[in-house]
Amino acid sequence: MIEPTSFPPAVHDLLSDYAPGSGWDELLDADGKVRPAWEYLLAQLDALGLGELQARHEETQRLLRENGVTFNAHEDGRAASRAWTLDPIPLPILGDEWAQLEAGLAQRSRLLNRLAADLYGARTVFRRGVLPPELVHAHPGFLHAAWGALPAGARWLVFHAIDFARDEQGRWLVLGDRAQAPSGAGYALENRITLARALPTVYREAPLKRLASFLETERVTLARLAPRHVDKPNVVLLTPGPASQGYFEHAYLANYLSLSLVQGEDLVVRDGKVSLKTLGGLQPIDVILRRVTDGWCDPLELRGDSMLGVPGLLAAVREGGVVLANALGIGAIENPGLVPFLPALCRELLGEELLLQPVKSYWCGDGESLEAVLDRLDSLVIHQLTEQTITDGLHLDAAARATLAARIRSAPHLYVAQEHVRPAHAPVWDGRKLVAQPVMMRGFCVAEEDGYRVMPGALGAVSPDGRMAVQGGTTKDVWVLAESAQPHVSLLRQAHGPIVVTRDGADLPSRVADNLFWLGRYGERYDSRARLLREALLRLLERGEGAGEDGCLEDLLIALGIELGSVDAGPRGRYLALRRAFLGVFDEQNDGGLREIFAGMLRNGRAVRDHLGDESFRVLNRLRESLRDLPSPPSASAGRKALEEHLTLLTAFFGLCNETMPHHYGWRFLDIGRFVERVLSTLTMLELVFVKTEHPGVPLWEVMLATTDNLTAYRRRYRSALHPSAILDLLLFDEDNPRSVGYLLRRLRRQIERLPHPKATPYRSAEERLILEAQTTLALADIATLAEVTADGDPKGQRALGKLLRRLRAPLAELSEALSNSHFSHSEKPRQLIEMI
Amino acid sequence: MNYQITHRTTYRYYGRVSLCHNEARLLPRETSRQFVEESALEVLPAPALRRERTDFFGNRVVNFSVQDIHQTLEVTARSRVTVAPRPSLTDTPSPGWEEVVCLVRDLPELGAMEARQYTLESPFIRPNAALAAYARPSFTAGRPLLEAVLELNRRIFKEFTYDPQFSTLATPLSQVLEERRGVCQDFAHLAIGCLRSLGLPARYVSGYLETLPPPGQPRLVGADASHAWLSVFIPGLGWIDLDPTNDLLPDERHVTLAWGRDYADVAPLKGVMIGGGSHALEVSVDVMPLLPPAEADDEAA
Repeated sequence: MIEPTSFPPAVHDLLSDYAPGSGWDELLDADGKVRPAWEYLLAQLDALGLGELQARHEETQRLLRENGVTFNAHEDGRAASRAWTLDPIPLPILGDEWAQLEAGLAQRSRLLNRLAADLYGARTVFRRGVLPPELVHAHPGFLHAAWGALPAGARWLVFHAIDFARDEQGRWLVLGDRAQAPSGAGYALENRITLARALPTVYREAPLKRLASFLETERVTLARLAPRHVDKPNVVLLTPGPASQGYFEHAYLANYLSLSLVQGEDLVVRDGKVSLKTLGGLQPIDVILRRVTDGWCDPLELRGDSMLGVPGLLAAVREGGVVLANALGIGAIENPGLVPFLPALCRELLGEELLLQPVKSYWCGDGESLEAVLDRLDSLVIHQLTEQTITDGLHLDAAARATLAARIRSAPHLYVAQEHVRPAHAPVWDGRKLVAQPVMMRGFCVAEEDGYRVMPGALGAVSPDGRMAVQGGTTKDVWVLAESAQPHVSLLRQAHGPIVVTRDGADLPSRVADNLFWLGRYGERYDSRARLLREALLRLLERGEGAGEDGCLEDLLIALGIELGSVDAGPRGRYLALRRAFLGVFDEQNDGGLREIFAGMLRNGRAVRDHLGDESFRVLNRLRESLRDLPSPPSASAGRKALEEHLTLLTAFFGLCNETMPHHYGWRFLDIGRFVERVLSTLTMLELVFVKTEHPGVPLWEVMLATTDNLTAYRRRYRSALHPSAILDLLLFDEDNPRSVGYLLRRLRRQIERLPHPKATPYRSAEERLILEAQTTLALADIATLAEVTADGDPKGQRALGKLLRRLRAPLAELSEALSNSHFSHSEKPRQLIEMI
Repeated sequence: MNYQITHRTTYRYYGRVSLCHNEARLLPRETSRQFVEESALEVLPAPALRRERTDFFGNRVVNFSVQDIHQTLEVTARSRVTVAPRPSLTDTPSPGWEEVVCLVRDLPELGAMEARQYTLESPFIRPNAALAAYARPSFTAGRPLLEAVLELNRRIFKEFTYDPQFSTLATPLSQVLEERRGVCQDFAHLAIGCLRSLGLPARYVSGYLETLPPPGQPRLVGADASHAWLSVFIPGLGWIDLDPTNDLLPDERHVTLAWGRDYADVAPLKGVMIGGGSHALEVSVDVMPLLPPAEADDEAA
């Protein structure tokens, strides 16, 4: 039992309700005494107090949410949030205990690296009978095409993630390996940073090993992998893209390690080397930190249907033109069938005894194991090697077990059985108190000059069965305790290593330019529609059932491109129909509705996550959450309120982009996208209000000024009644008004002239000609005729204005395509040649 | 026999192709019975980079990249090979097939060990009960393996219709088995699938077969085609080729290009291009017998 007097009151509160796990418990020993690793932490938690702990926990979740730690990037709808939660209680491990673990993890990396080199090279492990060849060949991780791809002595395994846990007796046990796209290090890092922010007093003086120098090793290792001896090798992080589960982490790590985040379509193989397709042409790439799994990396030699890879990549690797971390084919070491053979492999390949025991496993291909496995199927987990399926025998009924047994018997060499894993318990905060939960860990190794370095910390995760949840779940920060307090080194302010890649300017990937352009367009489109809708909802709310009389609402329907639908009789029927129509813009299914536009914005925003500042991205996330939490349809007043917030967030987003993005090409494309969209929407509104409307007059002019955010400017300048010619002057010609078409065109021209010219030519580019055409049209417009447009709608003036607006519109509509031809067109998709039989 | 083989593949694109990466397995490998005197791969337009290597299965592979803008790609392989006659297998004893299954599974001896990988599933071939059931009548208890596979070879020839219209690369084996038709590639896959479903090692062989013109007619140049068959591992005899499309044991008229687990490992020419739009493919193969040097001298005299 715990001595009630030996702890201060808060700690006593923390511990009094704590029921330790049935086996090994991280916090309490068998006698109920607190283990030494927890002394510092408990004292700190005591100082904080229970109530404050919960407040900090909530703060942690908020910080994480803002960072956008969602595992599933598709989740734009209203489905439950799948973000990780982060437990506020770190898991401390004593320094000398960690030292043993560290040696074991590093040994495992060395072993698997040697094994991969042997499997794809000399294959001595087969000749010497240490490993049955069918075990390796049956597993899809073994890539025949990768055989012999690297010279002897090359690193196959550079980054290695290892799952491990303490078993119920307190012994460390390795559960599995991740090598093709070893995820989790980014989350471990984010957990550390987030908790250090939420619990500054706990972290500031904590006697724990810091992660910064591990990251420095990662940078140095990547730079050293470069095949050419260059001062600043170019290193990129290859991601499957924003639709992949790990995208947040890829962007996070790329930012951290100062790497360009690229997708397969950004890269091209020429002359046996890999290059990044940028606005300024092809830029050679030396090292690829890869988060695309093996099979998807090269549609020529691996999966032909892959759109995520780079054609010819494997050939470039063979040429020595590029180095991949990890090497293609490394998936072979993720094979669970290797586990029973690891002790023997370790003796054979390293001449050492295996330090860390793997979870007990049996290969059914050997006769004795087969019978033993079949005897106790109900207590084992069965891995099928070719399908890579996992079946827990415990959950099968007798009939299903018999079927499985028959299957195993028919091809025993394809099955591996594992004992169940029940990780030891550790305290987790449940909102009121500490509860004991089974916790596993994922550790990380990175290659160093002569061996591997282990991250002094890990990603902890609550897991009853020793498998890391793909979605959701609770994670923990794992502390490795040091002798004394370690000064907190801000990870964010690390000096960049030798591998800085300038990330803007001419080396901007063409695809990123494309995404930024569309990010600008969708963002601005959201803005203009939100303004129109806000105006409509305001009028609905003000007028109530009298809204049917309001001609402006009819025009707003047209401006938003929505149909009224069926209308019941009477003013109330009309009011309800209008309300339904406007609120329908919030609908999921609405084409061109707010959610669809936002999805476009978010898709492009995520694809350039590493080019946006953290703050900007946080704002984007807040907009996402606000939209997600809004019912569909909302009430008119809730809708209006949300739109106010959204407009502020959008302004904040673009403002932050302006403030934080370097004013190079990337920013220019974002700017061009925004202003092309804004000119187009202003021209459309002007045409509606002064040419097409059936309800001309002051109310509509007011709407026009409000939706283009010009009401204040107008009042300040004219202080008088609304007059069309003054409005036209303000919105079309006044180059000092940042909302006027004249200003926008001037700004577009300046931005477009400063874009890189892919080929030196004495002529203006198509997009320069188009913007010049629009500017000239505006400059030559006959203001006198236009001034005749009056409240009565003089037909001559209207015709002239209509023509002018159309002539301004045409070149701008073409601008998108011209930009795409000059700057984004590198991004053409590769295709397979027909094969002959 | 001596042969001069010319295998030309022409791609014609509608649009312009700016970059094309390719992988060719068009140069014949040497075998215990096949000697390659000369072989060359010609690519037009000339590739910026080309490399020859040996793949996991010991086949000759040429990787090349065409980096100039082009609208036609022509790949021509020319080889001169000599194929020695196969020793007669008539009345050759072989172990019972079940015994082979055990031998291959249990012996760590090198030949059997390398053979084991050919008992596993591969991209185009998944061993299953239906395939085993089809094979079963030929594999009666204790039957010598050679005798059993010869019968399987003959049954596929008799019970399946050769139909070039029926199948494409994407036609699954199950459909071939169900509808009993296909081409040489399907029959090779089928026989391999049958053998693997019983636990026996079998591999896929790509190559050519000299076609003989009808009596009294001249040979047509370029009218030949690529061919495919299979090879089964029989302890004591080694790898024995079988041609179910023609109910033959390949001999001097079969020229081997490459082998692997199935078609996916030995596709003669693969490529990924950027640009080009849709494209058309034309293939011509010519397997021309050459007189052995001595006879050629006689003729000249």
